Amino acid sequence: MSMENRRPQLNLAELHQLKWLLGGMLAVISAWTVLYMEVDAWILLALVTVGAPVFIVKPWLAARVPRWAHRLAFPALVAIFTVDVATHLKEPLPSVIRLALMLLLYRVITPRKRRDDLQLIVMGLFLIVVGGVLSVSIVFAAQIVVFTAFALIFLLVITLVDAMEQGLPPTMAGDAAPGWMHASWRRLAGRLRECLDWRVAVLSVLLFAGVVGLSAVLFTAIPRFDLGNSLFLDGMISRKAKTGFSENIQFGDVVDIQQDTSVALSVDVSDRTQVPSELYWRMLVLDEYTKGSFGMSAVLKRSMDSLSAKAAQVQGDARLRANMPVWTFYMETGTSRFLPLLGGFNQITFDGQQDTAFSHELGLVMLRQTPAKMLAYKVEGMQTGATLRLPVEGGEAAANDPKRPVFTAIDGLKAGDNAQLTAWVAEIGAHPDNPAEFARRASAWLGGRHAYSLQSRIEPGEADPLVFWIGTKEPGHCELFAGAFTLLARAAGYPARVVLGFHGGSWNARSENLTVRNSNAHAWCEIFDRAAGVWVRVDPTLGSGVVVGPTTAPQGESAIARIRDDSWGARLESLRVFWYRRIVNFDQKSQVELARDAKKAVNERVRAFKKALRHRLAELRVWLASPWDVRRITGWAAAGLVAGGVVAGWRFYGRGSWRRWRGGKGRGNVDPVRREAGRWLRAMGDSGFKNPDVAEVRAELEKLRYGPAERWPEPRGVFRRAKKVLVKMKRRDGVFNH
Amino acid sequence: MAIETANPADAIGAAATDWQGEGFHGARSKDHRWRRLLWSLIYPQRGQRILPTVPGTLLIAVALGIGMAAYNTASNILFITLSLLLACLVFSGVLSWFNVKRVTWRLRVTPPLRVGRDQAIMLELRNGKRVLPTYGLWFDFQATGLAKPVRQALATRLDPLGETRIEWTLRPEKRGVLAVELAAVGSLFPFGFLRKIIGSDLRREVLVWPAPVEYRRFPLVSWRQPGQGEQNATAGQGGDLLALRPYAQGDSQRSVHWKASARLRRLVVRQFATEMQAGFSLWVQTSAEVWTRPEQFELLCSFAATLAEDFFRAGRLTSVALNDGATYPVRSVRDLELFLDRIAEAALVDQSYQPSTSAGAGRRFNVLTFAPDGARGVIAYVDGKPAAAA
Repeated sequence: MSMENRRPQLNLAELHQLKWLLGGMLAVISAWTVLYMEVDAWILLALVTVGAPVFIVKPWLAARVPRWAHRLAFPALVAIFTVDVATHLKEPLPSVIRLALMLLLYRVITPRKRRDDLQLIVMGLFLIVVGGVLSVSIVFAAQIVVFTAFALIFLLVITLVDAMEQGLPPTMAGDAAPGWMHASWRRLAGRLRECLDWRVAVLSVLLFAGVVGLSAVLFTAIPRFDLGNSLFLDGMISRKAKTGFSENIQFGDVVDIQQDTSVALSVDVSDRTQVPSELYWRMLVLDEYTKGSFGMSAVLKRSMDSLSAKAAQVQGDARLRANMPVWTFYMETGTSRFLPLLGGFNQITFDGQQDTAFSHELGLVMLRQTPAKMLAYKVEGMQTGATLRLPVEGGEAAANDPKRPVFTAIDGLKAGDNAQLTAWVAEIGAHPDNPAEFARRASAWLGGRHAYSLQSRIEPGEADPLVFWIGTKEPGHCELFAGAFTLLARAAGYPARVVLGFHGGSWNARSENLTVRNSNAHAWCEIFDRAAGVWVRVDPTLGSGVVVGPTTAPQGESAIARIRDDSWGARLESLRVFWYRRIVNFDQKSQVELARDAKKAVNERVRAFKKALRHRLAELRVWLASPWDVRRITGWAAAGLVAGGVVAGWRFYGRGSWRRWRGGKGRGNVDPVRREAGRWLRAMGDSGFKNPDVAEVRAELEKLRYGPAERWPEPRGVFRRAKKVLVKMKRRDGVFNH
Repeated sequence: MAIETANPADAIGAAATDWQGEGFHGARSKDHRWRRLLWSLIYPQRGQRILPTVPGTLLIAVALGIGMAAYNTASNILFITLSLLLACLVFSGVLSWFNVKRVTWRLRVTPPLRVGRDQAIMLELRNGKRVLPTYGLWFDFQATGLAKPVRQALATRLDPLGETRIEWTLRPEKRGVLAVELAAVGSLFPFGFLRKIIGSDLRREVLVWPAPVEYRRFPLVSWRQPGQGEQNATAGQGGDLLALRPYAQGDSQRSVHWKASARLRRLVVRQFATEMQAGFSLWVQTSAEVWTRPEQFELLCSFAATLAEDFFRAGRLTSVALNDGATYPVRSVRDLELFLDRIAEAALVDQSYQPSTSAGAGRRFNVLTFAPDGARGVIAYVDGKPAAAA
């Protein structure tokens, strides 16, 4: 085969090196999915992350892997996988992920054939998709796009390698230790730079952007049907609450959560004017005080568990009133299995069916398991006030049940501690029927004795730690304040409990939603007002602002203005919210809305266009109807002539000049080689077409005259041959003429 | 379709109009092209196929699996993956289309072809695109007698506005008409998901001359030398100028003596020394009664072709005849090639041998004829005397 290409191109060895490099990169990209899947495969991840670059840089290492290792590899992988699955029968998915990682590692450190390359792509895709499905993270979007781009280039290189290897003897097509493995990456980079045509590169990037755009169109256009099923993968892996908001929470855990600044939940509000001034996101209620700490009593846990039901909706007790906003929550992976809520609600709607438990009495909604991915739910009719009117489960009969949770007991305190508490209550002083007043006094009393600090020192001793802390002047954090208040309230005879959740948040000015971070974790209290029959929120922590009950701070825009966040972090965060709103939560209803919006937009544009057209036509009619005097006619005739002249000038002169300018040559600056070739072609005229010598020289001359300069044959030789041919032609013609 | 003869000028002239490919639409209008494109989406052209490869089938299977899982779970992550996979398939199709767009090819077969000799069949490729190169095309060649097509690949990049050639070496096994065709053009570009096959009706028919054979020559003592005043009909190309003689049909125009012709008012040609040497007439008879064994008949064709070439090279072949056809003088290479073309297509005739009644043939001497020599061989006679055997 003879080629006339001038631009260099990668040879087979370089393509193999590129293939090797891309395969390793694909493996690393897909293996990193484990980072957000939180599967116990850190060693394998480390091996892939370290092993892949080492073997990428030194491909010859792959040829050093002994043959027996290859023979043993697959039996060993199968054995390891079997043992892994057998030991984790309830959660087989992590075992499968570990197997995929092992296969990736094996493919990265051994020479690959075509089917091995395909296996690598499939394994990588599997890991990324599973990771995306399990986490619903925005990282998935970036990862799948990058992976697709690399995979397509990888497949392209495979195709080019195959095309180049066709017709080669087998020894060259695939050896045990081929020469390409001794790669110089700097040289390859240089060769890539040499061989790459920037126009092709730009076009490729544009085409890939088109692929992403097309996939976005397909994503919105693919018809959706709500089959009401939940994701099967969820059951194959379990998650633990990352933040520690569980029923087994211990003193100090909330402070630990506060160290984490990552986003815990993003909340959309359909009506921003109803955003309350104080945001207390209730998640957990702790009733039992034992061993110096508040926790959820076994009775409470059992009562929650007994209420479990599988449904896509949870009906609350609050009444739905007109103009109440709809709150859409996006709770991040591993935040908790308790749903953050501002208060009572009318209805909660999930994307699919969820195994939930709803305690009417506590106003808590709990999932059976900590969600393995971002959980989205809509809350309608949610109360945002500082008081909670909660019914008693089972009515009056249940209210008198001695086994039901009580919020007045203080178990396990020594007599001395009890006496101390009583003395402090007396010191605080309050009317028995006015819990709000007691709450204010007790909060003030605690604030007078303790400063706020995340670091607090409680001397270990025989005394109850919380009672000990109350008795000292040590600073404390929210849990200590809330616990101390609850103890004091109960000692005073008021039903009280500790509530855990988040306090506050920020308003993302870009995506216009509330963002609550783990650093907003907080502990506060609720005290029961028997007269009103409501639980009143009390936040005794020093510096929390509102102590008891409703606040007078304005809500809506003023509240938003106080927590508005327009930082770069918020801008980045808005991407995540966009991802949740427009993509993760995209459903049949959204599809219909999108279609409706598109139709509306098109109709509006058409209407606007028709209106503008009618307006222009009316103007034209008026213009035509106005009197045509000589001056006007002359003016327009002159304008028409000028326009015609411009068009004619363009056609006769401008277009040619433009083409010449585009070709980089002016009229007087024709390339001398082209000019010479044209001269020879004119000299040849139309004769000699059937003569192969003439035809060949003519073709070469035409290349010189019209072809791109980079593909010219050697001009001097062509002109010499043309001269010879022309002399021959003339001689022949001369014989006939004589 | 015209059969390619040994005349290279004719071959090139015929091939120049035979460009084919996705970029070759002649002078059709744009509307026509659009109609053609739209219609081809509904009813693909003959031979045009797009088939999924193993990775393509895998991709479709993965897409189906993900699609089912997506519908079953309403997971938008799976819908994203599904739409990305589908977009990749579309992308693959678009790039594949770009790859062959404005690529044209033509088949060049340069006669003469001979049995048993390697011959380069050339496929010329042009990429008419201005920006995009073309990669990874393959070409399936088919020829008469081949059990399955032979695949040749475009291993390297074909640059924008670039040209290249793909050579296929063919060794004909039989004389006669050989059909060489480009059966299909295919590509796995860009990602190997789809095998795009473009049907082709690019076909050339060329004559394959018989293979040259080795033979033994016998000493000839009775060859008749031309007498005084007799001349060979062949206008010699070398030797000394002996005289002028009247123009005879077949004489080269170059040998015309124009001044003498003008003086004498009739065409006169120069007569050279070579014309005075003894010449032979070759007469090949293909009677089925005589040549009962096919291999012996093939040997006859090869032997006759070889002798004709050897005598012509020696400048001693005066005329040729096949069966009872007319006798043709051999004055130039073209005459010889025409004879070889006829030998290439020679077949057994049912008629028994009938000597020619033409007066010209009756007066000829040194006539080479052929007859079977035993079960396998062929012997050549000059005026009835054995002259050579193969």
